[in-house]
Amino acid sequence: MSTTTDDRPKIWRSLAEKVDPRRAERLASEETGIQVGSLLPDNTLVNRRTFLAITGATTATVGLSGCIRRPEENILPYTVQPEYAQPGIPLHFASSTSHRGEGVGLLVESHEGRPTKIEGNPSHPMNAGRTDAHLQARILDLYDNERSGRVRHGEEDSSWAEFDAWWREKAAELEGTRGAGLRILMPPTASPSVDRARQAFAARFPAATVHTWSPVTEDSSRVGTGLAFSQSHVPVYDLGGTSAAGPRAKVIVAFDCDLLAGERGFLNNARGFADGRRVHSTDAQMNRLYVLESTLSVTGMNADHRLRLAPSQVDRYMRGLAEKLSAQSGVQMPPAVARAVEGSFDALPEAHRLWIEKTAEDLAANTGRSVVCAGWRQPFHVHALAHAINVALGNAGTTVHYYPEPDAAERHGLGDLVEAMQGGLDTLIILGGNPVYDAPADLSFAEALANVQNSVHLSSHVDETSTGCSWHLPMAHELEAWGDHFGLDGSYSLQQPLIAPLRGGRASHELFALVAGIRAWRGYNLVRNTFRERLGMAGFERSWRRALHSGVVDAPPSRPRAPALQDSEVAAALSAHAPAAAGGWEAVFIPSYQTWDGSEAHNPWLLEMPDPVTKVVWGNVAYLSPASATELGLLTPHDFEREEYEGSFPNGWVLDITTSAGTVSIPAIVIPGHADQVVTLPLGFGRELAGRHGSGVGTNVYTVRASDALGFATGVEVRRGVGQEIVVQTQDHHSMTTITGDRPLAIDATLEQYRETPDFAQWREPTPTLSPLWTEVDYSQPRPSAQGGRTYQPYPTPREPREGAPPRYKWGMVLDLSSCTGCSACIIACQAENNIAIVGKMEVARGREMHWMRLDRYFVGDDLNDPQVALQPVGCQQCEEAPCENVCPVAATAHSPEGLNDMAYNRCIGTRYCQNNCPYKVRRFNFLDWHGQIPSMARMVFNPNVTVRMRGVMEKCSYCVQRIQAARIAARRLTTVVDGEIQEHRIGEELVSACAQACPSGAITFGDFNDLESEAHRMAHLDQRYSLLAAVGTQPRTVYLGKIRNPNPEMV
Amino acid sequence: MGWRKPMEQLDEQYLVSEGTSLADVTEIVSKVTEQKAPRLWWILFGISTAVTGILGLTIAYLLWTGIGIWGNNSPVAWAWDITNFVWWIGIGHAGTLISAVLYLFRQYWRTAINRFSEAMTIFAVICALMFPTIHAGRPWFLYFSLPIPNQMNMWPNFKSPLLWDVFAVSTYFTVSLLFWYVGLVPDFATLRDRATNKIRKWAYGFVALGWRGSNRHWSNYERAYLILAALSTPLVLSVHSVVSFDFATSVEPGWHTTIFPPYFVAGAVFSGFAMVMTLLIIARTVYGMHDLIRIRHLELMNKIMLTTGSLVGYAYAMEFFIAWYSGNPYERFVFINRAMGDYWWAYWSMITCNVISPQFFWFKKLRTNIPFMFVISIVINVGMWFERFVIIVTSLHHDYLPSAWGNFSPTVFDVLTYCGSLGLFFTAFLLFLRWFPMIAIAEVKMVMPQADPHLGHHGHDDHDEDEDAMTAEPAMAEE
Repeated sequence: MSTTTDDRPKIWRSLAEKVDPRRAERLASEETGIQVGSLLPDNTLVNRRTFLAITGATTATVGLSGCIRRPEENILPYTVQPEYAQPGIPLHFASSTSHRGEGVGLLVESHEGRPTKIEGNPSHPMNAGRTDAHLQARILDLYDNERSGRVRHGEEDSSWAEFDAWWREKAAELEGTRGAGLRILMPPTASPSVDRARQAFAARFPAATVHTWSPVTEDSSRVGTGLAFSQSHVPVYDLGGTSAAGPRAKVIVAFDCDLLAGERGFLNNARGFADGRRVHSTDAQMNRLYVLESTLSVTGMNADHRLRLAPSQVDRYMRGLAEKLSAQSGVQMPPAVARAVEGSFDALPEAHRLWIEKTAEDLAANTGRSVVCAGWRQPFHVHALAHAINVALGNAGTTVHYYPEPDAAERHGLGDLVEAMQGGLDTLIILGGNPVYDAPADLSFAEALANVQNSVHLSSHVDETSTGCSWHLPMAHELEAWGDHFGLDGSYSLQQPLIAPLRGGRASHELFALVAGIRAWRGYNLVRNTFRERLGMAGFERSWRRALHSGVVDAPPSRPRAPALQDSEVAAALSAHAPAAAGGWEAVFIPSYQTWDGSEAHNPWLLEMPDPVTKVVWGNVAYLSPASATELGLLTPHDFEREEYEGSFPNGWVLDITTSAGTVSIPAIVIPGHADQVVTLPLGFGRELAGRHGSGVGTNVYTVRASDALGFATGVEVRRGVGQEIVVQTQDHHSMTTITGDRPLAIDATLEQYRETPDFAQWREPTPTLSPLWTEVDYSQPRPSAQGGRTYQPYPTPREPREGAPPRYKWGMVLDLSSCTGCSACIIACQAENNIAIVGKMEVARGREMHWMRLDRYFVGDDLNDPQVALQPVGCQQCEEAPCENVCPVAATAHSPEGLNDMAYNRCIGTRYCQNNCPYKVRRFNFLDWHGQIPSMARMVFNPNVTVRMRGVMEKCSYCVQRIQAARIAARRLTTVVDGEIQEHRIGEELVSACAQACPSGAITFGDFNDLESEAHRMAHLDQRYSLLAAVGTQPRTVYLGKIRNPNPEMV
Repeated sequence: MGWRKPMEQLDEQYLVSEGTSLADVTEIVSKVTEQKAPRLWWILFGISTAVTGILGLTIAYLLWTGIGIWGNNSPVAWAWDITNFVWWIGIGHAGTLISAVLYLFRQYWRTAINRFSEAMTIFAVICALMFPTIHAGRPWFLYFSLPIPNQMNMWPNFKSPLLWDVFAVSTYFTVSLLFWYVGLVPDFATLRDRATNKIRKWAYGFVALGWRGSNRHWSNYERAYLILAALSTPLVLSVHSVVSFDFATSVEPGWHTTIFPPYFVAGAVFSGFAMVMTLLIIARTVYGMHDLIRIRHLELMNKIMLTTGSLVGYAYAMEFFIAWYSGNPYERFVFINRAMGDYWWAYWSMITCNVISPQFFWFKKLRTNIPFMFVISIVINVGMWFERFVIIVTSLHHDYLPSAWGNFSPTVFDVLTYCGSLGLFFTAFLLFLRWFPMIAIAEVKMVMPQADPHLGHHGHDDHDEDEDAMTAEPAMAEE
């Protein structure tokens, strides 16, 4: 240490400092104990300053590294606040959409301009607030990042401007030829604006033709009603209506007709059917459903009597029924028709004659209160006969209402179009649909398309058809575009956009109007002008606004017609088409409950939704009866022995199925109750270009579908192919009986048994009567105004509940097994509401599906060929004595003061003990980071009020607790003080869970069990109530109503 | 006072080979840690550490990805993870039983094997603790399950058997570790005194805590040992009883069974002895410990295995009986399903390994046949693993609602985690063999004839009944 003169201070405190300042410093610090300067010499590596610097830098680095996991997000204020938008408070908009060609009303929830949930519009007459799984899942399509966002011309990217320019030129050219060489292909659409565009199109291009194609066709019904009534009509069934006299339709006979989940108007049918199943007192009347079908369908699962038949034989059986009916008194069967079906009854197999006879007697005993219906697969003369029977039974006008076809224009089919295309067509405009994929194989649509000079395809995705066309145009989602629709009953509803097109598409009616030369072709103007045309100018703006608000146009409703039956024409058609002889293999084409005709194959929610009947996910398989599988050498007697024990057959054998149109190899499974020598082929899978979720999932069976056998094919060859594939099912067909013991799970009884013992269900599963050792929660006590639980109490004394405050809420759910049809709308509604992840095929195979709501399907009875089905929706039972709560080591799942079994995701460490200890196995664990792979656009579908769960966390049904909280906030705002008294507004019937809101048959009732006036309370105290696994002592809050069947006493 | 009777009268043998001097004992045990490790040790150690490395990688991947890499699912939310946990905890039972219970019951033959089995206990419990830790979905929040005061004012749920597990197993681990260490102190001092280099001197000196072998040291040592033995004895019963509560207090058919606590304890002792046997036979052969670990010891252990194996067999039968007798259809089905369902092979493997295989020990010839007992000891551990698998997986996979039934199949990561835990165990155990006195030198000396002040004197018994004196007495094998 050197001290130079320069270091010496000019002003010094002591002599020592003057001589050696550093020493003085040291002495001073030693003296006072305070560090004055550095204790370390300057020339060492680390001195105080560098130490501080390093420490500071380290702290900062550690701090920074802690930030790495947090995603950066910007919070931006609105520059222009959207109308009515309040952050955190969702808005609801009435809209409508076209669902399988019919208009249905929607109510769409929007958070800060982002639609998140689709519900049914209660004001719409056809769906009355109800939705199905497909409507629920459409919200996910909106945020599909694989939706096409660019106009393509050939292989190259183009733009709307280029297309518009091209079309202007082309249109001028085509106008010169009056439209010869121009064709339009579109799916059946019931829309006033499309009608207008169609007229304008016909005026502009008189020589051009509009063709219609949908793989699940209504042509049989159109032609059939046209034959029966001289003009095409839509039969709308009025099954419900609960009065003292019982349901309007007391006897329903469905001939190969998936009345409740597949046919047009099914939402209306399901609602009416369920009304007729709801028996709440011993003197109540109930409807009875007879089903004749080949493949077990949703309707078949709900049948009281079901006859399995090859599809070609349905005709024969209907004739037999008609003959038996003509013999009954009170049935005015037209003599011509009666003559035409003469001898049909005796031609039926001996074993089934009694069945038909008793059904006929039942129908005849309920004239004017019954329905006979035929499905889309059946030929037109079967439809005509069904209508003739309805007229003869006096049902027309009472239970069956005939409305004019909403899409009344003359139909040109796909066959004509392909013929024209093969001849070298100039311009083909395809407005939606995917004909390259779903056209009948014998038409060779794809090859024909290559002959078309200019082909334009409007579609939401770049699909199989788009790649074969010269122009691909992106189609807007229905929540992005204006539109209007006709319901089956002619009701007129408006579709309004909730968001600007995310991918820049146009709606199909917009493009059609553009093509038709309507100047105001943009959606808003088009729809408004249509509206103005239809309703006139007077008070236009007012009625327009009212229609937008309610979603349904307040126009005079169209009335059902009472068309006269053309009996001789029906008789002639029946004579001309002799029923097919029995024998030989047949193939039935059914639209898949998941992807329908393939148009929903992009949607992973639907792909992962278990098929309501087979519980197969992520793919389609052929269905066989056990006897057919034995005939093909797939099952051995040993398999049947194992089935007795395990409740499942082996499956997945590949079958080679050959029809007149081609051969397909598809894995098969055995389904009880399936017709023998029939193979069912579900449509809608095996897409090549359906995005990362849908491509290559399942097998495309359109390859064996011929244009003359759209519904079913006869003379089919079925052989065992090579190999066996893995079929993923969420449930085997384990029954509740056999080796498992007679388990009282989905408890059922016949109407007679119910009348004898109304509390039959409780006799099967009695609630333990021993009083517990602990004090039970008393929900009648006033709700404490603080948080309720024993949490941190910042006040010296806990706040006492108010004197005379009303009782707490006691949330509960009632599931009516009698009215549940098994359609699975609740599963997807729950998924959309609660941000439930999809996991993919292999994870479902491992048993890791995440659905909070499960639809259990049990086969009842020992006969594999004639099983009865019991359906049981199972979500969290919200047990009073929840086994899951006791075993969680960290108290992550706990009871709320209102009886909810709450999950605190942030607290959960993922021991999965709760899942083990749940007797219902309704808890779902995030084994992997399911949400991590979701593209950012698809994240926009999330409900902002529901936590998105990370991996390692348990989740389960919460009774839609976020809806309860929202209702509570709303109720609090309505609470008033009158004369110093607090008038608390209690949450009432406005609160529904997502599943209950969606359920088409109203099988789910949610509400406050403490509200003695509530429907939920009333339902929960019906005689047929029971608790699932009551013997375990869990005291579930969810109440089931035992299923009541109504078999014909003479047929049992 | 049987143990006081002269050897000759009882027709029994001493626990150490005749002619073995006190110095021989010290030499035999100590030299293992002083000489170069045999080639076989290096081979085994190489394999074990490699497997442990794989375990590390597997766990890293597990923590990164989630426990979905295993085969667990719904309804089988617990599978190999908890099977392994219970299996290891069961193995960890033999240590305390041998050290504490046999000590209190004056079973002097335990001295040859207690060090060994205690070490095994420690390592088995470490392996066991690993599983509940990594099987949690979010292991980084495991501290939620500890009663740490926190700003959330949240306690863990004291009603949960999993929480009882946390307490039971951690208590067991702590007490076992202390017990083991206390016993090691005099022997560490022996090693320190024999040490020829500085590092050994320092290291053994450090862990020997200044032991000088004074009278006062011995007196304190004996006291401490007795107190710890008394403390650990209830733990022998409690730990596996508490582990069984995980199942017994649930509502699952097949789990909700009152026989579980004693049945689990018997099973744990059974598997623990089997594991000690496996290790003992290897170490005895490799290190030539025949003079200290005699065939008599092994035979006695086999008798315990025969007893506990039969107890376990009884429990299996009783479970079946009660399932039938209860009239509960779910319970009945679960048991029929165990024997005849999808996992019938696991059930029958369990019965074969656990109930049938120990029955051979009724025959003295087989009971004293070393290769035979070696095979049987491994078979028993396989069987005990299957027992836990059967209890956990077959009960869960088909329970109440047939709609929720499923199956479990392990993934490669299940196998890697399990094998990895074996690697961890053997790595620790091999290090123990290398650096620790594997047989309790001081305790063995206490039971040698030389330690008997009355050696050669007959027919007197007015002895001081002091505990210390009793322990230091000449002893012989007792049953």
